[in-house]
Amino acid sequence: MNLLAWLRPHAPELGANLRQRMAALPAPAPLGVCSLREQRWVVLDLETSGLNLNRDQVLSIGAVAIEDGAINLGQPFERTLHRPEQKTNASVLIHGLGPSALAAGCDPAEALLDLMAFIGDSPVLAFHAPFDQRMLTRALKDSLGLRLQHDFIDVAELAPLLNPDTVLREAGLDDWIARFGLQVQARHHAVADAQVTAELALILFSQARRQQLDSPLQLAQRLKQWRRRKAQGHGL
Amino acid sequence: MSKKDAYTQAGRTAVLQNIQGTLQFLQRFPPFNQMEQGHLAYLVEQCQLRFYAAGESIIKPADGPVEHFYIVKQGRVIGERQHVTRPGTETTFEIAGGECFPLAALLGERATRTEHLAGEDTFCLQLNKAAFIRVFSMSDVFRDFALRGVSSLLDQVNQQVRQRAVETLGTQYSLNTPLGELALRHPVVCSPATPLREAVAVMHEQQVGSIVIVDELRAPLGIFTLRDLRQVVADPGAELTAPVERYMTARPFHLSPQASAFDAAMAMTERHIAHVCLVDNGRLCGVISERDLFSLQRVDLVHLARTIRHAPRLDNLVALRGEIGQLVERMLAHGASSTQITQIITLLNDHTVCRVIELAIAERGDPGVPFSWLCFGSEGRREQTLHTDQDNGILFEAQNSAEAETIRARLLPLAQYINHNLAQCGFTLCKGNVMAGNPELCLSRSEWARRFAGFVREASPENLLGSSIYFDLRVVWGDEQGCEQLRRGLLEQVADNRIFQRMLADNALRQRPPVGRLREFVLTRQGDDKAATLDLKVQGLTPFVDGARLLALAHGIGACNTLERLRELVAKGVIDALDGAAYEEAYHFIQQTRMQQHQRQTRDNLPYSNRVDPDSLNHLDRRILRESLRQAQRLQASLAQRYQL
Repeated sequence: MNLLAWLRPHAPELGANLRQRMAALPAPAPLGVCSLREQRWVVLDLETSGLNLNRDQVLSIGAVAIEDGAINLGQPFERTLHRPEQKTNASVLIHGLGPSALAAGCDPAEALLDLMAFIGDSPVLAFHAPFDQRMLTRALKDSLGLRLQHDFIDVAELAPLLNPDTVLREAGLDDWIARFGLQVQARHHAVADAQVTAELALILFSQARRQQLDSPLQLAQRLKQWRRRKAQGHGL
Repeated sequence: MSKKDAYTQAGRTAVLQNIQGTLQFLQRFPPFNQMEQGHLAYLVEQCQLRFYAAGESIIKPADGPVEHFYIVKQGRVIGERQHVTRPGTETTFEIAGGECFPLAALLGERATRTEHLAGEDTFCLQLNKAAFIRVFSMSDVFRDFALRGVSSLLDQVNQQVRQRAVETLGTQYSLNTPLGELALRHPVVCSPATPLREAVAVMHEQQVGSIVIVDELRAPLGIFTLRDLRQVVADPGAELTAPVERYMTARPFHLSPQASAFDAAMAMTERHIAHVCLVDNGRLCGVISERDLFSLQRVDLVHLARTIRHAPRLDNLVALRGEIGQLVERMLAHGASSTQITQIITLLNDHTVCRVIELAIAERGDPGVPFSWLCFGSEGRREQTLHTDQDNGILFEAQNSAEAETIRARLLPLAQYINHNLAQCGFTLCKGNVMAGNPELCLSRSEWARRFAGFVREASPENLLGSSIYFDLRVVWGDEQGCEQLRRGLLEQVADNRIFQRMLADNALRQRPPVGRLREFVLTRQGDDKAATLDLKVQGLTPFVDGARLLALAHGIGACNTLERLRELVAKGVIDALDGAAYEEAYHFIQQTRMQQHQRQTRDNLPYSNRVDPDSLNHLDRRILRESLRQAQRLQASLAQRYQL
């Protein structure tokens, strides 16, 4: 037994069924050199009780798959999580998930497992991805004792990278929605946000292809360079 | 509800919420705004959303048979076709948000003939073929829309698709259709011993007007109809428990399923019955009702034609004119095509003209010389609408000019009398005096030939105008031989005279179809009109009529009807088959719009006008009109190129 084991919170107790399903989850595939169209992507949006990465909770999950370069309208993923302990706070004004909706939600462990099954081995796209990535990491650890290893690509970085001529400072999702004239059904509804982020991603992939960036790996590498250059720019 | 069901349910709700936006978007456009919510939701759920950057190809002919149906969600799609005769492409249509493609190729199970490109950054909903077929079979609204061929116009639909559309819509069948094809539902039958009440209950349940009483071998013994039921109800001694056999009409009239709709219609009018049994090898296989024969309008037609042909006096003919108007109105209301209607009007007008001539001869005495009654212009082309001018003349044979003078002197009084009588029947006297009673239009064959030769030789403005009237000629009454000889001579002269052809082409380009470079109509305001309008006849139909006439004359085609001319031009390879079909459909649609407008004007007691405000049309019609006018533009462009104008 590891000496430091006592420092960790003990792993959640899971039923045999959940353990079995967890074991069956595929390992994430590394970003490869297939074309952007061939790569299956999952666009994720989480609604949370707030913006504190250590304290706030995932309340609902919306996800949309991009397969063969298109969004399947009939197969989005959505779960509202059962959070009886969640007190109503100001965030309800944003996501609109009241206590009754949360009480009617499903077991977080099951919901998260369903999500991981939906994601499969695909890389994940999200707007402000680091936030979703960290919230999800913590939720997976708490509810399932599972380590999130998937690659996340941030659409909020991809958009300015591919549109250097568009000057939008600290642009949010709404700015890019407006920039490309997209229509969104209901902002801050997890699936609707995932859907519009996915539409944005389709436009960005098309731009990437024209800039000779036609694989997930190339895209990730270019993002890394871009980040580095941006950091240097800030340093000066 | 089990947990699994609950999740499935939650999943469904999520899907519904997610597609809600797309649903609401589609519900702003036909046919989606008329589809049942469930069908539309199914359609959207099966869709994929795809993005195409400006200039990106969406589908092209080389992709092979079309596998998807597309709806433009955002942006604009343009169709580009390779020129047949020279390198390069032309934009043949534009598809905007809420519109779909490529219906004709999808229904025809073939590749698209036009490359579809994103005109700007565009999102399309993409539905796979299996799901398309499913929606097509579920939703009547969607099916009608797809078959009506909105896009078929854009995509130059093949005849086959249109044929199928006709069958599905069920409104336009010919009187030659075998009855077996019309009797679609199973006949409702019972045995002779069935109590009357029970038999009537079955009729009520099945919503039919008749029940056939059959023996064990399904041979019809009798028929019981709503009319028989009326008698039963009126009869105080009738018993509802008695066997139906007591009240049925025994030995019902029957026809074979191979007999035509016309046979059934005739039998019904002669025998005053409303139902005809269809019997094959002694067994009942169907029942045709009066209603199946589509409101009897075709019966009206047959009847009307016969009444006109046998009218004893001019007064009767004058009275019958009103009935022609009503018939046309009914046919339009039932969605008959403009071509059918113009043909029927022409047919009935021909009957009227013939009868007027016969009555005039009977009244004034036979002039003793054979002559043919000619008609020109729209009547010559068989494209008449209800209100029509007289454009006519007389052709006779004479040895020399002296004989011609004598014959003319004998025929003119009769001709003038006929003109006068036709005017009474509603054929307005021609303002330009293009009438048989005019000595200049009562000519021998050689005089006509000389006159026509003059038109071709010296292309003065009057002669060009004349050629556009007189060269669409045919015989309404009398021998047709002389006219055909005249036509052959004319065709030879035109074929040899490139200068004349060029003048005609120049003339045919004078009226420009009122569409701009991109999307809008080019409208003009007339006097103090509130709305800007365009002229359906002069700006819409005339380019097709003039173009088809020129090409037909130049290529030795004797037909006068614009659509027939186009078809023969296609058969001769003068114009491309796709172009021909597109012109035909466009012409057809403009004519239809014009007739519907006339019908509205009659109803509202307004004077006839060919001017239409495109904003008064619905979304769909406006769009088709725009594409139709663009086809006229293309025809003109091809003439300009052919004659280097």
